[in-house]
Amino acid sequence: MSPDEEFLTTLLKALNASGVEAIIVGNAGAALQGAPVTTQDVDLLVRDTPLNREKLETLSRALGAARPAAISELTTAVRITGAAFPIDILFDSMSGGLQSLDDIIRSKEAAGRPKDTAVLPILRDTLRVQQALDQSGGETPT
Amino acid sequence: MAAPSVPAELAWSSAHAEDLVAEVQALYERLRPRFPEMDPGDLKLILECMLRPWGTGRGFFLRQIRPGVYVP
Repeated sequence: MSPDEEFLTTLLKALNASGVEAIIVGNAGAALQGAPVTTQDVDLLVRDTPLNREKLETLSRALGAARPAAISELTTAVRITGAAFPIDILFDSMSGGLQSLDDIIRSKEAAGRPKDTAVLPILRDTLRVQQALDQSGGETPT
Repeated sequence: MAAPSVPAELAWSSAHAEDLVAEVQALYERLRPRFPEMDPGDLKLILECMLRPWGTGRGFFLRQIRPGVYVP
């Protein structure tokens, strides 16, 4: 297992153990679904409740990281620093596991930053291949 | 069937890689006509990433080794 796979496996276990209601979004979520992309961090979309904010501290401790801290004054997002890779936390009303590829694409289209638009072509191609495989009998990995 | 007792990273071998290449090639030949405008290399890369089993050494994080320089 590569260090990257090991980190994501550890993160998923820690997420389950902490009970925080979160979904993995962004390029890490796309990579988990087979998109050939790279990233520098993991983005989590967390349902914004006081309990989940407490659980994020549990998650940080489980990963041997510092408590979540504000990224900047321009955003309500927070970052967990000190794990193998940074984990950025976005707060919203969603929950559920792993953001679908088409939702990841829509969010990157909406964000519109150069680093988002740069990755859109390969994500769109990946989605088309995923849909083609689903239609033809589900050869996609589980 | 019982779960394999050998960890994926130990069980993964050249033979498995050859099987993966063959599987990717078979799907590539089937899908290529449906996506004539897609870069053939990208299509193979997508299929490889989708079909490669979890835990067999895939990397997707970039590490900054110094300002402006990133490595996978």
